[in-house]
Amino acid sequence: MTVLRVLFVLVGLALSGAASAQVDDEAIRATIARFADSKNFRETEEIVRDLAATGDVRVERPLSALSDGNLSFRKSDRQVFIAPERGQTATLFDPLTGEAAGEAPKGDFTKVKVNNSLRRTIRDVISGLTLASPDPVVRLAAARTMFIAPDAANLEALDAAIAAETVTSVKISLEAARASTILVSDAPDAAKFDAIALLGQRGDRETLSLLTGFAARSQGDLQAAAQRAIDTIGKSLALWDIGQNIWYGISLGSVLLLAAIGLAITFGVMGVINMAHGEMVMIGAYTTFVVQSVIRSSFPGLFDWSLTIALPLAFLVAGAVGLALERGVIRFLYGRPLETLLATWGVSLILQQAVRTIFGPTNQEVGNPSWMSGGFQIGQLALTWNRLWIVVFALAVFGLLLYIFKRTAWGLQMRAVTANRRMASSMGIRTPWVDAFTFALGSGIAGIAGVALSQIDNVSPNLGQGYIIDSFMVVVFGGVGNLWGTLVGAFSLGIVNKFLEPYAGAVLGKILVLVLIILFIQKRPRGLFALKGRSVEA
Amino acid sequence: MITQRLFTGGSNRRVLVTALVLAAVAVLVPVLHLALPPSSPFHVPAYMVALVGKYLTYALLALALDLVWGYCGILSLGHGAFFALGGYAMGMYLMRQIGDRGVYGNPILPDFMVFLNWKELPWFWYGFDQFWFAAIMIVLAPGALAFVFGWFAFRSRVTGVYLSIITQALTYALLLAFFRNDMGFGGNNGLTDFKDILGFNVQAPETRAGLFAASALALALALLITSAITRSKYGMLMVAVRDAESRTRFIGWRPENIKVFAFTISAVMAGIAGALYVPQVGIINPGEFAPANSIEVVVWTAVGGRGTLVGPIIGALLVNGGKSWFTGILPEYWLFALGGLFIAVTLFLPKGIIGTWDSWRASRRDAAERARTKAEEDAAPPPVDPATGRPVRVEETPRAPSPGLSGGPAPQPAE
Amino acid sequence: MSKSGTILYLDGVSVSFDGFRAINNLSLVLDRGEMRAIIGPNGAGKTTMMDIITGKTRPDAGEVYFDGTIDLTKHDEADIAMMGIGRKFQKPTVFESHTVEDNLVLALAGPRSIFPALFHRRSKAESEHIDEILATIRLEARRNDLAANLSHGQKQWLEIGMLLAQDPKLLLVDEPVAGMTDAETEETARLLKDIAKTHSVVVVEHDMHFVRELGVKVTCLHEGAVLSEGTLDHVSADDRVIEVYLGR
Repeated sequence: MTVLRVLFVLVGLALSGAASAQVDDEAIRATIARFADSKNFRETEEIVRDLAATGDVRVERPLSALSDGNLSFRKSDRQVFIAPERGQTATLFDPLTGEAAGEAPKGDFTKVKVNNSLRRTIRDVISGLTLASPDPVVRLAAARTMFIAPDAANLEALDAAIAAETVTSVKISLEAARASTILVSDAPDAAKFDAIALLGQRGDRETLSLLTGFAARSQGDLQAAAQRAIDTIGKSLALWDIGQNIWYGISLGSVLLLAAIGLAITFGVMGVINMAHGEMVMIGAYTTFVVQSVIRSSFPGLFDWSLTIALPLAFLVAGAVGLALERGVIRFLYGRPLETLLATWGVSLILQQAVRTIFGPTNQEVGNPSWMSGGFQIGQLALTWNRLWIVVFALAVFGLLLYIFKRTAWGLQMRAVTANRRMASSMGIRTPWVDAFTFALGSGIAGIAGVALSQIDNVSPNLGQGYIIDSFMVVVFGGVGNLWGTLVGAFSLGIVNKFLEPYAGAVLGKILVLVLIILFIQKRPRGLFALKGRSVEA
Repeated sequence: MITQRLFTGGSNRRVLVTALVLAAVAVLVPVLHLALPPSSPFHVPAYMVALVGKYLTYALLALALDLVWGYCGILSLGHGAFFALGGYAMGMYLMRQIGDRGVYGNPILPDFMVFLNWKELPWFWYGFDQFWFAAIMIVLAPGALAFVFGWFAFRSRVTGVYLSIITQALTYALLLAFFRNDMGFGGNNGLTDFKDILGFNVQAPETRAGLFAASALALALALLITSAITRSKYGMLMVAVRDAESRTRFIGWRPENIKVFAFTISAVMAGIAGALYVPQVGIINPGEFAPANSIEVVVWTAVGGRGTLVGPIIGALLVNGGKSWFTGILPEYWLFALGGLFIAVTLFLPKGIIGTWDSWRASRRDAAERARTKAEEDAAPPPVDPATGRPVRVEETPRAPSPGLSGGPAPQPAE
Repeated sequence: MSKSGTILYLDGVSVSFDGFRAINNLSLVLDRGEMRAIIGPNGAGKTTMMDIITGKTRPDAGEVYFDGTIDLTKHDEADIAMMGIGRKFQKPTVFESHTVEDNLVLALAGPRSIFPALFHRRSKAESEHIDEILATIRLEARRNDLAANLSHGQKQWLEIGMLLAQDPKLLLVDEPVAGMTDAETEETARLLKDIAKTHSVVVVEHDMHFVRELGVKVTCLHEGAVLSEGTLDHVSADDRVIEVYLGR
């Protein structure tokens, strides 16, 4: 794609430059020089239009500079430069080629004055120019500009461009731009009806605001037609909005799932409330940070692999911390869930402070590898790669755990201990061993969740605190001892949260979710997928 | 054994002694602060009055938690919410007392409302210019919240760690809510810049001394009341619910009612503590709702010994004194110390200071008594440790922590 | 079948947990003043039946009536306890951090709301009643000891004492002699027979020796339904009972 674009630009330059550049250069420079003598905005505008009339793509540079307020002339010889100022000095560039021309004190220069209407003219002129650009990307951008800010003066240029256009996607954009331009022109009503019909097919937000503006200043049948188109677009947008909210909800749900699933394991199997669970997530995120730091300083080429390297490391580091925590503290507190809660809270304070002492209290920079940055659009749905990968990753982790639980001997032992600890122990299962490794597994999963979260959240010592209550809500909501409950709990909480947000705002939405969960627990004190029967309360 | 009776007698005496000490402190400290010149070695400096006054309100909060946790087995991780609600009720009264002396000089609206371009006082601020109204709200706001929350939670038999997590979610939700500017409670910055309380300048030494005395007396009174509650038949029921909830149910009591009552009383105590806290520190902001604050209260109670009433008071004073001292010399290590304290108390001192002291004394007395009876029967000398010359301590208590002092019922992994 | 004259009336009761039928179309009638022994192998539904009667578990189908008129499925545990059904658990459950005497005080019949409890003063009548019960369950000497320090058998007795203090019309007694010595077992049988003179009693027990000593009508449960009913001799001669207990 990039290669192609470079090729286009090169070919374009060769075509437009080689043939006429030398001849026109002097003429263009002469026109630019007139800026120094311009007495008012009207004259400046005339010069702008004259520049545009040359049809040379290169005039975009001085015009943009003018629009940005960077075009100045030297008081001594009235020569025009692009001269952005920093402090008391101005850096000089040639207005046509953009070559650096040294520095000079700012006081030696006078700016060519510009106002908003002039800026608008410049923008339109530039897009008109770029319509003729040989680079389809540039043409597409020009079409978009003209679509958003239509100007009746562009109509002819657009017609010509559409006739000449060979790339389908660009042509569609050009036609939309033409339709939007027709709506602001004095074209006959029939043409406007066609334009409305064409725009009505599009259904994005810009079209909506365009048509709304048109409906406001038109009357009769035209207004009615525009209104109908607005309604159609509104309906389709509402659907897309629901889709977008569901996507946001799934994205939040996958984050919750990652944070909560390790907790669900330790809580479900061992009945242990691990308040330091969030800190395991944090440790995973810091492991990612350390891995990236080492890669940045020693093996910069491996940066795209940083997460792949960090995953097993985070699992091991967090798992080891979890194992130490279980062996050192928790195993002395079995059967005393409330004490376990307090002791692990103490551990979480210590871990937070330890990380703060080692890495400092500020956020650490964790970068996205190239395959996780950016995003793409499906219809009106905006998706980012990092969120998409996290959803995939969360589901993969879930699937892996499900496999461990249902298909391996270790999983069988864990389930046996969950169902009946005493019986399992008398069947020869070494429950302390199962406990220790289950806890290590839960912590390790939290660690790899930290790797994922480092991609979308600030990596700071408080990272874990932000997730702990939400994770508990997921586990409580989904029901203990059931991985599917955690999955359903995470995604439903995520989606409900995101659906409430537009109506109630982020904070109030969160509060509402908490209240809903408290009410939900009234109905089902043991969660969505609760174990039933006599054994529960025995 | 017989020591059980002596033991309760002992704890009753301890409550009386503590209440008397608190009453004496309530008189002595203000006198030493106001009457003696700063040069005197017995002068209590102003910062000390403010600091200890603050600790006393913390102690009241810990006592409130002890009532529900120590006696009723409800580990609330949201008691800071009730404390903060009481504090906000008091803060609203103090805000209204500022009148037109605020930065914007608006006689009705507090500064932050003027700043947010509010035109009139929200309805829930009405009445807070009257102290009696604020006093009612200090009791009512936390009490009503605790009643409604408890009624829902206990009726559906949410117990153990589930309940703890839900209480934590409660205070977390309130934290988020009070951070919002449009809630009308000052948002991020909370309520501050107080001027008067009941017509006295909050900064004046006399007012500070008065607030100190009020805190000490409130604590003493609360101690006597909770002691009376725990010694009543209702108090016995609370312990019964803690140890064997279903047994209580099957002899016809409703554990949910017993719990709701305890939870509400406790929340009211916490609210009063918050109301006394705010004028002494001069600010109340949403940070008081932070879950970490509430859980810190639990460690004060645990350090002193839950289910002992006097223990949590001692725990709150000790831990907060330690915190002030520690943050003075090694500020960045305080969280290490606090975290270590959580672990150490649960692992090594599950009964807390007072609880451990009591069981040590009880076992000594039992051993001595058994030795004496044996001596009378056998006419032989009691077994004596050759090294110390003391009667040998005979291990009698079961190995598992006595249910009288450990939190909930038997292990329930499914919970 | 008429409900009048019965203290307990179960008809067509079923309940299942996650597809497992713990009680399957169970019918059982207990007359006023009757004592009944219930036997059955593990998992026969004995404890679940108790749960249904005391309101802990709601049946999926069937009628459960107390005293001929009260529909027990419409009430919860505390209500049912106040109507006069006392229950002793399989695992002795007493308030371990209270003294023996305080255990009885809490169980004593009387108002069950907060404020009377808060300002309760023990009356002379109450004290006498407690002395009486302590004599019945033979724990006078240990009245001031913590319940936690009682032996297993003594805890069982204390729990029965608490039922008596509650003054119920019907007592449900789940495995009262589990873990008792022979002497204690005999003592318990005598105690229960004594109680049965003035109360209706349902005893669930595994110990056949003990059941024989009670000398009452026996119901054998199996897989949540009544397998056989009659005297112990009749029941133990039943082929199906032998099959269930001994296997094929």
